[in-house]
Amino acid sequence: MASDVIDLQAAINAVSDVVQNRPRPLREFDQIYMKTADMVLQSEFIARWADGKRLAFIGDGDAISVCVAYLRQRGIFGYGPASITVFDFDERICNAVTRFAEKEGLESLSSTLYNCLDPFPGPCDFDGFYTNPPWGASNAGESVKVFMQRGMEATRHGGEGVVVVADDPELEWPKLVLANLQRAALDAGFYVQRLMPEVHSYHLDDAPDLRSCNVILRALPGNAREGASAAISDPVRIANFYGRQGDPIVRYIRETARLDYGKANETEYALELLESPK
Amino acid sequence: MTEILRPGVGFVFMKVGTHAGEELDDIIARKQREIADAGYALWGYGGNTCHPFNTVQPFARDYVRRDGVIYLVMQPMTSRHSAPPARAAEFSRDGVTWEQVPHAINVLGSRYAIAIDELRPEAFDLPLEHTKVAIGTSAGRRGDRYISGRVDKGCLELDDDGLPTGPSVTTVRIGLVARMVEPYAVLVRSPLLDQDPGRMAAEVLDVAGET
Repeated sequence: MASDVIDLQAAINAVSDVVQNRPRPLREFDQIYMKTADMVLQSEFIARWADGKRLAFIGDGDAISVCVAYLRQRGIFGYGPASITVFDFDERICNAVTRFAEKEGLESLSSTLYNCLDPFPGPCDFDGFYTNPPWGASNAGESVKVFMQRGMEATRHGGEGVVVVADDPELEWPKLVLANLQRAALDAGFYVQRLMPEVHSYHLDDAPDLRSCNVILRALPGNAREGASAAISDPVRIANFYGRQGDPIVRYIRETARLDYGKANETEYALELLESPK
Repeated sequence: MTEILRPGVGFVFMKVGTHAGEELDDIIARKQREIADAGYALWGYGGNTCHPFNTVQPFARDYVRRDGVIYLVMQPMTSRHSAPPARAAEFSRDGVTWEQVPHAINVLGSRYAIAIDELRPEAFDLPLEHTKVAIGTSAGRRGDRYISGRVDKGCLELDDDGLPTGPSVTTVRIGLVARMVEPYAVLVRSPLLDQDPGRMAAEVLDVAGET
């Protein structure tokens, strides 16, 4: 039986370790990071929801995957997924996951460089998926549906998933996206098992009050099926994928190698020396 | 009465003041000279709102297609901005291809810039509660709720009803306007400040491939 008691200070400090390891976000690709307190709560929820399961993260700039694995390994959570694989098109994120897993001995955590417009590379025997995709403000949620589709494929359409999307009662577009998400989920043989409204906030200067929700999906009985994954090239599906900038043109974000990862870069400062003693 | 604020008009709103240690009046004079010399100028800005190619460019194209013109309207204010006045050497429309900034144009201490070909003082009131955000994650939010706190600029649209006939509680005083020109907004960078080896490099999709 998993313990319900969590050392909050230890949890926040552990998440702080993860935040320190993350690459800086690229807004042009809708990389918008969740605030730290919400990361703690989200990690606890995901660890509990996915206890003992094999979990695929379809994109994970927030590093919830790392938090879940790390807090479990540190004994802060008494539960968590059996394994986690992060699929992301940003090599900086994949390498940050790998670096942290190696440093902390997180053997259940790994990453794969993958662009969700390409066919899903497998394996497809995951029990569940998690995605916090581009929220689709400019394409009625089509980008959300693409990430969700890859998550479903990772479970052979027979598992469970959590999709994190915008949730704001004042704005129209999040409602449209949520409706389209639910429609697409039903079409794919999944149903909305639960919805947790307005639970996360973000480092988002132009919308500091915008919240997101957890949409928890589950496959209908008998929905699991084999099937080849295909590239997504339909112009309607890829238009304005990362906001109103047209079709996506970037396959991967490559990390420029540096030896001082996590340290202040030499271009950020210069040394002014003390005068020599006479 | 300004001719800019027609019902449904789109415009970029920005609070402006001292930038990179340079007073606003000096900036205006310098930009007007640059327009005279080069035909256009780049009005620098920063922050995490109004990203050039996923916000300003598509927004400006939409409204220019409809109305033929789009303006940057600016509210002068007292401010301090102490970013180093490094001159941008390159600009990019898409973050992938970079071009040299012409010698006649100087963008100082900025990450982004709006392209303009006319800059003039013009004073009028802008009732923010009669505007709404036109693009992005805050699309549909009322302008007066959006332009607050750390948010000092936005791509806004005036209500279809136009200007209110009665008093407005969230009016700001515009003092400067600029006509925007293609490519409307760009990224800019300075070699001295951007030699960070930790910066990302993009691997571009093969256009001839499946996408």
